[in-house]
Amino acid sequence: MKVTLKILKAEKIYAPVKIEELDEKRIVPNMMLRRRLTRNAKIMLYLADKCSYNNTKVVYGSAYGELQASTSITEAILREKQISPTLFQNSVYNTAPSYFSLLHSDKDEIITVSAGKNTSYEALRTAALQALISQEPVLCVVTECINIQRIEEVNTCSSYLEAGAAVVIDVIEEDATKISELKEADNKKIMESLKHIWWVVENKNGEKVSIEL
Amino acid sequence: MNAYINAYASQSCAGNTDALMDAIYKQRSAITIDSTYIKDTPVGLGKMNKGDFFTILKDVVSQVLETSNLSNFHDTLLIVGSSVGGMAESERHFFQDKNYKNINPQKHIISVIEDTLVEHFSFLSARSISTACTSSANALLLAKRLIKVGAYANILVVGADELCSTTVCGFHALGVLSSKPCSPFDEARDGMNVAEAVAALLIQNRPTKDAVELAGVGASSDAYHMTNPDPTASGAFSAMKNALEDAAVAPEKVDYINAHGTGTVANDQVEALGVEKLFDDVYISSTKAVTGHTLGAAGALEAVVVCEVIKRGQIPPQTGLKKAQNENIHLATKVYKREIKYALSNSFAFGGNNTSILFGAVQ
Repeated sequence: MKVTLKILKAEKIYAPVKIEELDEKRIVPNMMLRRRLTRNAKIMLYLADKCSYNNTKVVYGSAYGELQASTSITEAILREKQISPTLFQNSVYNTAPSYFSLLHSDKDEIITVSAGKNTSYEALRTAALQALISQEPVLCVVTECINIQRIEEVNTCSSYLEAGAAVVIDVIEEDATKISELKEADNKKIMESLKHIWWVVENKNGEKVSIEL
Repeated sequence: MNAYINAYASQSCAGNTDALMDAIYKQRSAITIDSTYIKDTPVGLGKMNKGDFFTILKDVVSQVLETSNLSNFHDTLLIVGSSVGGMAESERHFFQDKNYKNINPQKHIISVIEDTLVEHFSFLSARSISTACTSSANALLLAKRLIKVGAYANILVVGADELCSTTVCGFHALGVLSSKPCSPFDEARDGMNVAEAVAALLIQNRPTKDAVELAGVGASSDAYHMTNPDPTASGAFSAMKNALEDAAVAPEKVDYINAHGTGTVANDQVEALGVEKLFDDVYISSTKAVTGHTLGAAGALEAVVVCEVIKRGQIPPQTGLKKAQNENIHLATKVYKREIKYALSNSFAFGGNNTSILFGAVQ
């Protein structure tokens, strides 16, 4: 079953190692909250702010999740050091959208998708379902932050250790005109998990995309 | 289009589904006390004693296929719910090598479970949900909606999480682990038991014999705190209310609630308050006193429990209960035999992520 999405907003950001300007002080004025944010959360909040969307259903995607928190925990276990409770609460895959919910007092549904290299494709499909069911726009954000210590021991897939993309989508009645089939970006530098949403952001802002539920 | 649970199977520390239900009705906890994960600190854990986790995963899904009306999963969407994915294997490599060189990133991430099942069974399509302890409950939520809009006729929901040091030591860092089998809703409860499990349910758009209806789904966010639930219970209340509204079922029609009921002070207090606010009189119990908290697998495992409860017409008692903290909720103190038309299952997670699923007997 296919539905047609209208891409209402689209943003992306990336850096080889670390994205420097995420406008954190303006977006998260509360210092205590700001200090607890993970890199994925900061990037998500930045992208959501760029999309001007903050009170809606959210579908978030990440193939690797909160790698910095989870590797810090295993490092602490190995060295028999105490684990910070904040580190553990920040290790779950839905950490970034949960901070979004906290910051914006958004009590709506949050779904986090993690489907390996297909993560952004499956996140977009899930966002399409949520928009179809709710008949409201949905914010879909996919981020990857893998800039952990010794990442070179395992990273063979990406030139950008931090990257993210966001779209606000709405399901519209099919009118069969100017609808594109969803594709993946032809960009070998970004992680595969981001390629579908990347293609949407680069090519289809304000346009229509067809997607299989 | 309505959604029906037509086949299911599970494996937990209490064994397969039959053994699990036997333990639940006989109030026999399957939690064991372990001193290997945390040095000098015994904690209660729910460990499966049946070999390799990924072998158990494939066995459970094979059982569903064998008892279903399908000959294969080629026309079935797979939705996995998991909170740790392949973390346990990564830990084994890392603790031995003290580096990441032998860790396969594709076997570390959440999708290793769907990849394993897709490779073994060949599904039409697959995706994984990871919202911590609501992961497989949210997989059920999406499955119900996809059936409703007519996108799929067959969806297999799998909840799967393996014990690992990160979760055991992480919950210990939060100070919420019990050193004995947990006692949800008890005045003297002192924490939860981390556990592992695999549960799989086949959801279809037509009922087969002995089907249970996946009648309603609801979700919400607390927007309150990353780990502590909103003390007013507004998030839990909204999720339960949304599930009932989705099914157009009034609260008084619900016969049983399988609570999230982890045994932590904060969770049980807030969940009881939410139930007290929404329901006048409904039997409630948490089967985590028997299975422990199976994290991302909990929604699917407890869906299996609720299907059995509806089919057997027997409300399970609250294991480990001596004196209820909240006397305004109706904790089941023994097995009650009665017709069960509707039963609700709650799952709550880090980040204030709340999901409730309403199950109904098929008339």
